[in-house]
Amino acid sequence: MTFLHLSFYSAFTLSSLGLAFHRMHLISALLCLESMMLSMYIALSMWPIQTQMTSSTLMPILMLAFSACEAGAGLAILVASTRTHGSDQLHNLNLLQC
Amino acid sequence: MDFPLILNISMFLTLLILSSPILLPLLSKNYQNSPTTIMRTVKTSFMASLIPMILSIYSNMENTTFYWEWKFITNFKIPFSLKMDQYSLMFFPIALFVTWSILQFAVWYMASEPYTTKFSLFLLIFLIAMLILIIANNMFLLFIGWEGVGIMSFLLIGWWHGRAEANTAALQAVLYNRIGDIGLILCMAWLASSMNTWEIQQHSSTNQTPLLPLMGLILAATGKSAQFGLHPWLPAAMEGPTPVSALLHSSTMVVAGIFLLIRTHHMLCNNQIALTTCLCMGALSTLFAATCALTQNDIKKIIAFSTSSQLGLMMVTIGLNLPQLAFLHISTHAFFKAMLFLCSGSIIHSLNGEQDLRKMGGLQKLLPTTTSCLTIGNLALMGTPFLAGFYSKDLIIENLNMSYLNTWALLLTLIATSFTATYSLRMALLVQTNYTRIPSITPINENNPAITNPITRLALGSIMAGLLITSYIPPTKTPPMTMPLATKTTAIIITTLGIILALELSKLTHTLTTPKQNVALNFSNTLGYFNPLMHRLSSTKLLNNGQNIASHLIDLSWYKKMGPEGLATLQLKASKISTTLHTGLIKTYLGSFALSILTIILFTQN
Repeated sequence: MTFLHLSFYSAFTLSSLGLAFHRMHLISALLCLESMMLSMYIALSMWPIQTQMTSSTLMPILMLAFSACEAGAGLAILVASTRTHGSDQLHNLNLLQC
Repeated sequence: MDFPLILNISMFLTLLILSSPILLPLLSKNYQNSPTTIMRTVKTSFMASLIPMILSIYSNMENTTFYWEWKFITNFKIPFSLKMDQYSLMFFPIALFVTWSILQFAVWYMASEPYTTKFSLFLLIFLIAMLILIIANNMFLLFIGWEGVGIMSFLLIGWWHGRAEANTAALQAVLYNRIGDIGLILCMAWLASSMNTWEIQQHSSTNQTPLLPLMGLILAATGKSAQFGLHPWLPAAMEGPTPVSALLHSSTMVVAGIFLLIRTHHMLCNNQIALTTCLCMGALSTLFAATCALTQNDIKKIIAFSTSSQLGLMMVTIGLNLPQLAFLHISTHAFFKAMLFLCSGSIIHSLNGEQDLRKMGGLQKLLPTTTSCLTIGNLALMGTPFLAGFYSKDLIIENLNMSYLNTWALLLTLIATSFTATYSLRMALLVQTNYTRIPSITPINENNPAITNPITRLALGSIMAGLLITSYIPPTKTPPMTMPLATKTTAIIITTLGIILALELSKLTHTLTTPKQNVALNFSNTLGYFNPLMHRLSSTKLLNNGQNIASHLIDLSWYKKMGPEGLATLQLKASKISTTLHTGLIKTYLGSFALSILTIILFTQN
């Protein structure tokens, strides 16, 4: 089991580092956010198997529902900022600011 | 001599003579009524009603007659019983005398009307309903009389029903009386449920009556007797013909509320809260009506407000726990108030329909009898010593001064008494003295005995009635006998002050000063702003609130304020505030986020 813990700890950390240090496009940040959610989903699904507590089987489904909402909100922000700024490149988000 | 038998028979005879113009046309086909025959009927009935009055004075006897019983349900029987005590036996001749004079006057006044017989019949039906109210021994008969006088008042105020203001005034009278009727029905329901009877003499007078039925009775008296709060119908009722104003709205109908309180006095006398309510409301109504009368320009409205003020004075007397004195004031007031109305009717017809005081003047030489009786009536109203009004008004003021009561009520009543003198003198001066302001050609003629006889008869009554009644009816409660000189002469002193005030103010009219508007004048002339406030403001507010709650509230609140649009406006407000703070350096934000997470993780590892 420790191998499983190592794998999703490292998946989560790599995705968050990817969220923090992306270069060009906003959409790559959103993609890393999705991978964070994915790793958390797998971790939450492991929990009832390990502790033999079947009543918390509901938890990953709930998290999935909220992550879908969050992805939708993120994409809406992306679309809105792309419509006003012309592209989703990050360096022109504060280009015209005084 | 079997006195009870003669009393009962003569009373029955009075009522039978009075209802003959209604019953005889049903019995024979050839019988036609006319205003003169109705007047003669009332005169005969008056003569017949003197017999029971003299009998009761001679033998100090009261009587209750029981004719028939309506077995309503097993436990609750409603008897048809008539009570002939000092109040009803004294009121019958007075009411019949005043009605006789008014009907004789109406023969001349309504001579050019198309339906004079119907008019006199309406007045007769009104009188019968009023007498049923007076003579009733239980609340059921009293309620029949009460509603009867209300209906006849509606029909008679709206006599000239082609006129829109007359219809509005009649409707106003009915509505305000209805609000009072709620109180009366409340009291009747309480009596039926807790004392199991509607007989007035079966109500126990030693216990404390709870406040609810007494408040109902006071509400009924407020509605019918035009106390403050339910008063606007009385000045509006001047839209009716002058005989109607003289009979209903001065002597007879408006005292029905006070009479109810006199009849049920044994329930009121132990409850101090009810008595204080009567006292304060009466004081407020008398002052308010006297203030409004000061700046009115219509002669009938001044007399209407004078009636309202005297009704407030009667209510004050009830609040002092003196029902017999209130009844004395009712009796004397009937004479001079009816006479004032008849004099004003004569003046109005003589000037071809002119009712405005500012267009009358110098009538003393043109209408000598009428104006002399107008002066007598005004002096009696003011409480001039030894005319009719003095015996009741002066006694009331003496009792007010010597009682343990609310000082504010006392002050208001005294101020109202001086205002009474002021507006009466104003009316008398503007009508009778100085150069005349009437148009050049007017049908001035008072040579008709149908005008002068009723007015002089009532003038005789206004002079003698006080003396006669107080000589023959001993008081049941001891009046205060000893008081300081200033207290004894309070009424005369403040009346004289009012007269001096009126004379000083009338001097201003000789000096051609332009009238300026100020707050007090506007308040008095528009009747205290009560009519527009209550009639317009309250109804528009109520209807607006109704529309808001019924149709606007659901749509407005759910769709706009709480639903999607409300959420959008909230977010918009928040983002407008914070938009200047955002700098947009995404990479810097995310880099600092990663750095701080790393630092925290490293620091918490041990």
